[in-house]
Amino acid sequence: MNKLNHINPVLLLLMLAMALVSCEKEIEIDLPDAQTKLVVEGNIEQGRPPFVILTKTSPYFEPTDINSLQTLFVSDALVTVSNGTNTVQLTEICTNQLPDSLLPAVAELIGVSLSSLQTFGFCLYTTLDSTIFGEVGKTYSLYISTGDEVLTSTTQIPPLVFMNSYWYKDQPGYSNFGYIWFELSDPPQLGNAYRLYTKRLGKDSRFIPIFGSAFDDQFFNGLTFEANFGRGKEPGSQAPDDLAETSFYYQQGDTVVIKFCTIDYYHFKFWESFEAAAMSSGNPFSAPTTVTTNIEGGGLGVWGGYGVTYDTLILVD
Amino acid sequence: MRGFWLLVLLSVMLLLSANNNNITAQNYTVSGTIVDASTNEPAVGATVYIKETRKGTATNEKGFYTLTLSKGNYTLVISYIGFNEQEIPLVLNKNTKINSKIEPAVITTEEFTVVGEKENQNTDEAVMSTVELKMDKVKTLPAIFGEVDVLKTIQLLPGVQNAGEGNSGFYVRGGGPDQNLILLDGATVYNASHLFGFFSVFNADAIDEVKLVKGGMPAEYGGRLSSVLDISMNNGDMKKFKVDGGIGVISSRLTVQGPIKKDTAAFLVSARRTYAGDLAQPFVSDSSKFKGSNYYFYDFNAKFNYILSSKDKLSLSGYLGRDVFTFKNSDDGFELNTPWGNSIVALKWSHIFNDEFYGDVTASFTDYRFKVLAKQDQFEFGLYSGITDYNLKADYTYLPSILHKIKFGGAYTFHRFTPNSAEVSSADVEFNTGDVIINYANEGALYVSDEWDISEKLKIQPGLRYTVYQHIGPFKRYNNDERGAPIDTVEYSKGETVKLYQGLEPRFITRYAFNEKASVKASFTQNYQYIHLASLASVSLPTDQWIPSTEVTKPQFSTQYALGYFRNIFKNKWETSIEVYYKDMKNQVEYKDGVMPQDDGGTNVDNNLTFGKGWSYGAEFFLKKKVGKFNGWIGYTLAWTKRQFDDLNNGKPFYPRYDRRHDASVVFNYEISDRLILGATWVYASGNALTLPVARYIIEGRIVNQYGERNSYRMEAFHRMDIALTLKGKETKKFKSSWNFSIYNLYNRKNPYFIYFSNEGNVYNGSLDIKAKQVSLFGIIPSISWNFSF
Repeated sequence: MNKLNHINPVLLLLMLAMALVSCEKEIEIDLPDAQTKLVVEGNIEQGRPPFVILTKTSPYFEPTDINSLQTLFVSDALVTVSNGTNTVQLTEICTNQLPDSLLPAVAELIGVSLSSLQTFGFCLYTTLDSTIFGEVGKTYSLYISTGDEVLTSTTQIPPLVFMNSYWYKDQPGYSNFGYIWFELSDPPQLGNAYRLYTKRLGKDSRFIPIFGSAFDDQFFNGLTFEANFGRGKEPGSQAPDDLAETSFYYQQGDTVVIKFCTIDYYHFKFWESFEAAAMSSGNPFSAPTTVTTNIEGGGLGVWGGYGVTYDTLILVD
Repeated sequence: MRGFWLLVLLSVMLLLSANNNNITAQNYTVSGTIVDASTNEPAVGATVYIKETRKGTATNEKGFYTLTLSKGNYTLVISYIGFNEQEIPLVLNKNTKINSKIEPAVITTEEFTVVGEKENQNTDEAVMSTVELKMDKVKTLPAIFGEVDVLKTIQLLPGVQNAGEGNSGFYVRGGGPDQNLILLDGATVYNASHLFGFFSVFNADAIDEVKLVKGGMPAEYGGRLSSVLDISMNNGDMKKFKVDGGIGVISSRLTVQGPIKKDTAAFLVSARRTYAGDLAQPFVSDSSKFKGSNYYFYDFNAKFNYILSSKDKLSLSGYLGRDVFTFKNSDDGFELNTPWGNSIVALKWSHIFNDEFYGDVTASFTDYRFKVLAKQDQFEFGLYSGITDYNLKADYTYLPSILHKIKFGGAYTFHRFTPNSAEVSSADVEFNTGDVIINYANEGALYVSDEWDISEKLKIQPGLRYTVYQHIGPFKRYNNDERGAPIDTVEYSKGETVKLYQGLEPRFITRYAFNEKASVKASFTQNYQYIHLASLASVSLPTDQWIPSTEVTKPQFSTQYALGYFRNIFKNKWETSIEVYYKDMKNQVEYKDGVMPQDDGGTNVDNNLTFGKGWSYGAEFFLKKKVGKFNGWIGYTLAWTKRQFDDLNNGKPFYPRYDRRHDASVVFNYEISDRLILGATWVYASGNALTLPVARYIIEGRIVNQYGERNSYRMEAFHRMDIALTLKGKETKKFKSSWNFSIYNLYNRKNPYFIYFSNEGNVYNGSLDIKAKQVSLFGIIPSISWNFSF
């Protein structure tokens, strides 16, 4: 959402002041060994199969080439998902075993770009058993067993909330670049949380979370209000429009599909801390932001349900 | 408490053994008041002694002295640095009173003299862990950007640690930044820094003297666990008009003082403002997207003194300071305006009932507030926080005999706390950011202490302070569920007691003098602190909130033991001391893990806090050369500080960020000639404790850090040398000037300021690159300033 929610004026001034006088250099650091932990990245949307990517943490300065990163996938785990009536065991698939024709669908499912999937083989746990496909209002329990570790978690696909409307407006001083605006009527009870993604047709290969994608109704419970958002980017993107000065904006003329999701509270807490950590990274004044987890049993990461609605907007001021 | 009684017992035993040789012949006292003839101010710390016996004393803060002698004929000598010595014949056959006015010496040694300090004060007084600094000594020391800063000089003392490069914040003996009571002419200063601590709010031209008490706190002080920094503003000159000023790289200063009515009333006004941001304005092109952004701060000090009669004096002190930051980004129409600062007023009435009984009554007001106003498109955002105090206190001194100095008094403070309260609106819709929960509290204190010369060798100062604190309504307590949604609220009506705390704070200081040059001192102090500073950041920022003790947040409580050996060498020209201390702190305050700034909205701040304990111990070594062309000091501290909270770091003890194993400083001034003075400082400190990631994982293609134990990593040690050269212009009768050249970080050391981990590239195509980077703040910085007075 709008960056007014994220601004700390004092830090802004500090950063400005420091930029004038500071200098930096790369250093070597000996970090203590840490116990390896299991990391869950899993989700379930209505009408779709659940999927789980199971990896482990790695020492901070281990190599970061593709082969080293692929050794982080954890195979041969027992992974089950239950909706209270059905319990289904997920099967492990690795994308480099799949025919290329299936890759776009898998990319969409796990939320990575198609090009990433083509260079980087993913292993994930999923199922084609439609009895466990996501349904709005249901709660899903995750159970993972590997070696002598057992991880569990639960998440809900909360009732859908529909956005009242979306529109596009040029930013003052720009013609052709601006934010997407929306009007939302938040339901009366406190505790609604949301996550927003967009996909520019012909430009993005997947739904990319916007900048500050997760927010809850702590400050607007039950209100009808207007707000705007800027465009998110693929991590580490080198695309020209992601490096441009206008990379924070949408461009007039684009057709954008907006994916607006309801998420439950602990799921929201994960993304809120995930995004805060990304923003405070490299900021000397904030205490380190530990990313929370809703995984029980000593694991990290998230198991999240999404109640998804889609809208398409042609960007015209 | 056991330690306290042990000390009392020890002193009583010493008393019994030391007192039986104190048999006296026919004794009389000679007493009186010494004043500075040029200002009519009391001559504090002037030496008064008997030429024939070399027995002497020093005047107290009212210029009063008293000596007890056997009957006889003597010569009384009054000596005060910078003043002509006076000899007065004395025939002592009854109790005698001799008042005197002393004249300034023709040639004044303004710089480098420790004015008002008795030669062997270091070993003689029952005062420990206390340092006094005169501003004129501070002014020839090097300063970053040439901005003389008394708080940064304080940091050069053993037992005091700085809060980071260029920062004027300080930590005393393992205590947090909120545990220092900073007083300006008796009124509390809640935020003593500008620009996040890079500069302090104390304009050197307006300040006369500072006193730092880091242990053995006398009963007259209280309300904070770790230290008192007592700052006195300059009194205006009662004789003639004077203008002092300075032009520096980033700021200028001007001070005007003089008599309103000669020898009766005087004023002083002093102003300082930075202009680095303003100077940059013409160079910001009209097309720049940041046009209209600026930052500056200013300070305004004023003082009025009025001598009502020989027994009554009135003084009014005021301070107003603001930091103002405006930021505009035409790109996204973002506008920000952030003013913050202190307003302080203190009115003091001093009354001398008689030579044995005098006192002050002070009424003061202090207000610190922080405000942010931001605007973008149809959004408006406002954030307010602050604290306001109304304070009334009375301090009396009673001298029933030459052997006793009894101090007693009381204080009452009404606090009003405004924790962060936000307003956010989009077009006409006001967001629901929660009620503004203003807190009110009463705080009271009564104290008595006696400085008692039991024998020539043994002096004790027992004291007792009683404090009471009442958190009163209106107040609303939110009882929340885990997601921060109110389950219910408890409301207290106006004036209703939410929570009452009270406690006794025993204080005990003793000195045993082996001879005139060597003594051992011990102290035991207990303190309560009823207000707390909640800080989400890793350093103190103006956004930190002062919060009251409530039914959830209990008062902080500390116990400190200190033991010191003090010895003067080379005819009192050198002072040395070694002090060891142990400090235990209860009910320390930290935010819970994972709390974000927005979580304070719509709830009580202390619902997001967690409570634990802390302890600190260490040894401080101090060697100081007081006088001469070459003077200065070397300080070294070896210390350990820990904190332990059930809810932090898995309940295991951890080092706070500012725990320093070694902390050393070398400070000196060298008078090369009458016109040229060299000042230099060198500091060394163990690296800050830091929390670093120990492992990483990947979510949605981004690197997530998994952090190790809290503050378990140490940055590289910090060291730096600064020098300053003061060149005085040719002095005429009416005009004096000097140039000050200073070089900060002479050998351009790249001291670590913080470490961060950067990850660039794409996880999925092999271009990911992870690096640790260390940021350093200030390299070598030369600066120049020109000071004048007429």
